[in-house]
Amino acid sequence: MTTLPLLDVAAVSKSFRGLRAVADASLQVRQGEVVALIGPNGAGKTTLFNLIAGTLAPDRGVVRFDGRDITGLRADQVCAAGIGRTFQIVKPFADMSVLDNVMVGGFRGNASPSVARERARTALAALRMDELRHRPAASLTLPDRKKLEVARALATQPRLLLLDEVMAGLRPTETDVMVRAFQRLNEEQSVTILLIEHVMRAVMALAQRVYVLHHGVIIAQGTPAEVTRDARVLESYLGAEAL
Amino acid sequence: MNDLLALFTEASPRPRNALLVLLALLVLAPLLIDRYLLSLMILVLYFAFVGQAWNIMMGLCGQLSLGHALYVGLGAYTAAALYQHFGLTPWLGMLAAVLVCVAMATLIGWLAFRFGIAGTYFALLTIAFAEFSRIGFDHFTWVGGSGGFFLKVVQQGTTDWLNLRGHPRMFYFLALALATGAFLLTAWLMRSRAGYYFRAIRDNEEAARAAGVDTFRYKMIAIQISAALTALAGVFFAFYYNNLFPEQIFNMGRSIEIILAPIIGGVGTLFGPVIGAALLTLLSEGLSELLQVLGIQAPGLKQILYGVALGLSIMFMPHGVWPGIARRFGLARDAKDAGK
Repeated sequence: MTTLPLLDVAAVSKSFRGLRAVADASLQVRQGEVVALIGPNGAGKTTLFNLIAGTLAPDRGVVRFDGRDITGLRADQVCAAGIGRTFQIVKPFADMSVLDNVMVGGFRGNASPSVARERARTALAALRMDELRHRPAASLTLPDRKKLEVARALATQPRLLLLDEVMAGLRPTETDVMVRAFQRLNEEQSVTILLIEHVMRAVMALAQRVYVLHHGVIIAQGTPAEVTRDARVLESYLGAEAL
Repeated sequence: MNDLLALFTEASPRPRNALLVLLALLVLAPLLIDRYLLSLMILVLYFAFVGQAWNIMMGLCGQLSLGHALYVGLGAYTAAALYQHFGLTPWLGMLAAVLVCVAMATLIGWLAFRFGIAGTYFALLTIAFAEFSRIGFDHFTWVGGSGGFFLKVVQQGTTDWLNLRGHPRMFYFLALALATGAFLLTAWLMRSRAGYYFRAIRDNEEAARAAGVDTFRYKMIAIQISAALTALAGVFFAFYYNNLFPEQIFNMGRSIEIILAPIIGGVGTLFGPVIGAALLTLLSEGLSELLQVLGIQAPGLKQILYGVALGLSIMFMPHGVWPGIARRFGLARDAKDAGK
């Protein structure tokens, strides 16, 4: 029996003033999977995320989520469809408290402040940052702001979570806390995850499958073990000297 | 409605009781104060109200309007014209004024938010609409053009609530009701989904969108609420002052006057516009008194001193007076939510 993938990105392309940032990229994420998207800086990973999340509309290609065509929908509509995303360059609501930041996500599909607060508390607890809830977001350290991005996306109760380099800049122990939080979310709440990540420690621990993007083109895919043995990947990404 | 009730049941008792005492004092005040003080109190309440209206759009949602006199003017002229030409009660005139102003706000909002006119460019757009309304009304002879539009004045001995004609005490109660209503509306908004969405848009629009906020829709709601409230201020203005001149009511200076109270009091705070309005009126009247007592008669000196005081206030309290007061008395939001 074949099931439809939860997320099906089919041959999407995006150019900026003639520069092809993403070229005919295709990837699939099945329900319950954790998939990583890796590649060198400037490979087009964040652009591909933006195409999925509705921040940008693709020039060509189709994005389907749960069988539904979501190509070109606005970001808030994509969120309403069940995709939560974080930003690589963190975007906290600086003048609001941590709890209020996450509550904004908690209002997705429901207008009750108490429900939103409850969802926010759950999301903050999952990331072990409940103690920080009354702090103004502007006062957080960068690692905590990264976690805040995740908590806000989680509070929207997504079926698919897009994580854009949330481990960057974290200490190894913090990375492990984050990895465990994602594992729990994936196993206990069956949240499907697609993550862009440079921290290979996290990729190896989390991802069941890996896509490698280079110059906007998917050049390899497979299990983490397979991908790290691929000659093209080693050359383009992990560095020729790794060979 | 439950949320509105929660404002009273959930708020910690000390500030809540203080507010109820303040409201009771304000209701009883007309029995105790003379005409002069009454007229000052009306001014304070008027600016607290219209400042609150502006605050919803700028303080909560981050959309800077420098042309709010537009809605004051449109609201004033709508209700005044309907009363003068057709004898329509200002209460229905308020409804018409709200409709006109919301329609105008929808047009401005649609133009700005659909075509990505944001920040200072948005502010310029609001000025432009106020300015061409001023010029348009100068030539709008049905409501008197640049010569002004005057409402029938009656003996102040009678009080006609239906037509809002009569003693200033009536206007005092009307202003008190408006200011209290706007205060409660803002308090309710701040706790509602819309309030959270407004502040999210103010702080980071792209992140708000990613968190599921239909930013176009919520910016529209903010500007519409703000315009609707300001329309009521316009109706109040028309029936209180009885004369309308396009050069005055749509004037850029009026738009600035509206935003001073929330800026001095604290943009985006619930109490800022109220405290700001009280302080500014006190400052203005205090300066007049002071100069009179000192026997100084230098034209423009009062305005200079007023400007210096505003400048100093903004230099030393860029977030307004309220945040400092809130910290001093432990009324900050964080402390209130700590138990939850």
